[in-house]
Amino acid sequence: MSLLSQTLAVSASGMQAQAQRIRHVSENIANSDTPGYRRKLVPFAPAAITGDGFGQRSGVAAGRMYLDQRALAQIYDPGHILADATGHYQGSNVDLMIEIADAREAQRSYDANLRLFDQARQMSQSLIGLLRK
Amino acid sequence: MDLNATLAARSYGAARPLTSPAPEGAAQTQLGRFAETFTQTLAQAETRAQDVMAGRGDPHVLVAALTEAQLAVESTRAVRDKVVEAYLEILRMPV
Repeated sequence: MSLLSQTLAVSASGMQAQAQRIRHVSENIANSDTPGYRRKLVPFAPAAITGDGFGQRSGVAAGRMYLDQRALAQIYDPGHILADATGHYQGSNVDLMIEIADAREAQRSYDANLRLFDQARQMSQSLIGLLRK
Repeated sequence: MDLNATLAARSYGAARPLTSPAPEGAAQTQLGRFAETFTQTLAQAETRAQDVMAGRGDPHVLVAALTEAQLAVESTRAVRDKVVEAYLEILRMPV
């Protein structure tokens, strides 16, 4: 496997990890009004890629999802079915601002990986193109 | 220098091994190995495409596999063109 095709695989693993991240962001946004929902987060970790010539930690992969342990929002609504004696119930701890910023960051990282993928492809293509002259 | 039938036959016999096919199979030669990896790359791209169409695989892996297959086909074509061109060049050589 040439270095440039390895670049393709590594960039693809980056895009895959960012896709995983944006999927959890979408879950968080969808559940932002669900009582008792804790926002989900994914850690990134270096991962091995199948194929020859790769090191143990050359790619990236989204690890096991974990829950944000910040306190849930206390929402005052005495008429709500989950309301306690003081008239509060626990909402979710999703902050839409943070989620949107996270989504944007995922998009930027995805774009960067995509650019690199395309660049590696163009480099190989122009290298082979030399033979045709 | 005089040319007789025995001398001609002997040189013909000496030149024969050079043009006979190599004893080992095609898979052992450099070119055979290249052809094997090439077919493997194409087969892998095909499997990935089928997986993604069946909803099993990841599209990123598909794009990577297809790009690799495309580059493999392009490089093979470039090499083939060079070989054919060289062969035609030899054919055109005035004897």
